[in-house]
Amino acid sequence: MKLAYYPGCSLESTGTEYDMSTKEVFKALDIELCDLGDWNCCGSSVASSKDYLLSLALPARNLAMSEKLELDVMAPCPECYLKLWKARDAVKKDPDTLDKVNKALDGTGLELKGSIDVKHPAYVIVNELGLEKLAERVKKPLDGLKVVPYYGCVMLKPPRDEKLDSPENPTGLDRIITTLGGEVVPFASKVKCCGGGLILTNKEVMLNLTHEILKEAKDAGADCIITACPLCHLALDGRQIDVEKEYNEKIEMPILYFTQLIGLSLGIGPKKLGLDKNFISTQNLLKSLKL
Amino acid sequence: MEIETIKLKDCDPNFAKEIIGAGGKKANVCFQCGTCTAGCPTVYAMDFTPRQIMRMVNLGMREQVLQSGTIWVCASCFTCQSRCPRGVEITSVMGALKNIAIREGITPQNKKGPAFYNSFLEVAMDHGRIYEPELMLRFAGRSEKSIPGALKSLSKDIPLGMGLVKKGKMAFLPHSFRRPEQLKIIYDNIRKMEGEK
Ligand code: SF4
Ligand code: SF4
Repeated sequence: MKLAYYPGCSLESTGTEYDMSTKEVFKALDIELCDLGDWNCCGSSVASSKDYLLSLALPARNLAMSEKLELDVMAPCPECYLKLWKARDAVKKDPDTLDKVNKALDGTGLELKGSIDVKHPAYVIVNELGLEKLAERVKKPLDGLKVVPYYGCVMLKPPRDEKLDSPENPTGLDRIITTLGGEVVPFASKVKCCGGGLILTNKEVMLNLTHEILKEAKDAGADCIITACPLCHLALDGRQIDVEKEYNEKIEMPILYFTQLIGLSLGIGPKKLGLDKNFISTQNLLKSLKL
Repeated sequence: MEIETIKLKDCDPNFAKEIIGAGGKKANVCFQCGTCTAGCPTVYAMDFTPRQIMRMVNLGMREQVLQSGTIWVCASCFTCQSRCPRGVEITSVMGALKNIAIREGITPQNKKGPAFYNSFLEVAMDHGRIYEPELMLRFAGRSEKSIPGALKSLSKDIPLGMGLVKKGKMAFLPHSFRRPEQLKIIYDNIRKMEGEK
């Protein structure tokens, strides 16, 4: 399998370890990722709050670049994944929109046909590679490690393709955890918002929502939470110390990207997976896995 | 108890249509069931609930909606939109409302929302990709009234910022997008098309 790889802005900065671990894991799974080259920001939810057509045209430029490679494109950041998918969906459903988007791209040397698909790495692994194949490569089973599968909001919402996973009660990450030999912690807030989107604009509300998730995980006796989103990660991991201060509680909950967890059980070194870049120490976790 | 009267003559009958045009699909088919409000994680911090906003949009209470804090407390989580039995794209309605409020310069009490949106887009358009240090500077400059205020708000984020630098997660220079002029072309094309409307 071969895919175009769209890292997106976060994976170049706050989500470096997501980028590192995704590349390592996909290499180990023999899925080739092609560099998209001079990709641009997808515009995030911000462009759609500014101008609807702009919110389609920014991702469209990246889609057109993937089309040139004749490859489907994979985006690990759920926000990028959503924006690329939305642009693709809008032009597929409506020729008039395709026409407008192409008018917006006029003069860039790129043209969109709407011929390729947009994918998320979690579901490339679960639905396309298949969990049996993943199981075959597991070298270090997680030995009953208690893991919270946290899906966040936009990886599956608004609903795209029911074949992908259920938006309200998803199981993709759960099944990955079980395949790796971990134990899934039943988690009421698995699709509840962590407030990451308000990280700069409304810290009070953000800390409250982040706290609810961390607390539920702590009370359930989890060893770690896995996430597939760099913004959730920044809230749950980067802001965890602020949550501890605000609520006067010790939480110390390691927050891993699901790709970091997969990487560990595939026998990839923690350093290569960027585990030293997580804010909340992953040392005890690695020790308990004898890594 | 005093009951507030909504004067229809002060309402804008085309408001829902305007919102639909700005991306808030199906804004006009809300039947007020309240599912959106029930699942909204930030409703406790809103002045109007999502269901109320939908009613106000359909009544054409343009000014009140655009001035409400709700649209900026919305975390764009898509829970409401995914669950709405009528298929109202509520999150997109909130997005469209932000878009119009910014365009018309309507700022809520907490100026951070519009400050963030404007700063984010400027950085994205200038550099092609997001460059956090510049985003933080522009954001602080916009969201605070004075320079000392901006410095104070920046200093609150210094621990996280320094942590990111120490972990090698924050670059000192903008990333390597090589053709920012491409985004200017796209932006100008769109402005031209929208001017023609
Ligand atoms: S869930 Fe949909 S139909 Fe129900 S009140 Fe909200 S917008 Fe209206
Ligand atoms: S998208 Fe906004 S309004 Fe809808 S549930 Fe989430 S926070 Fe509430």
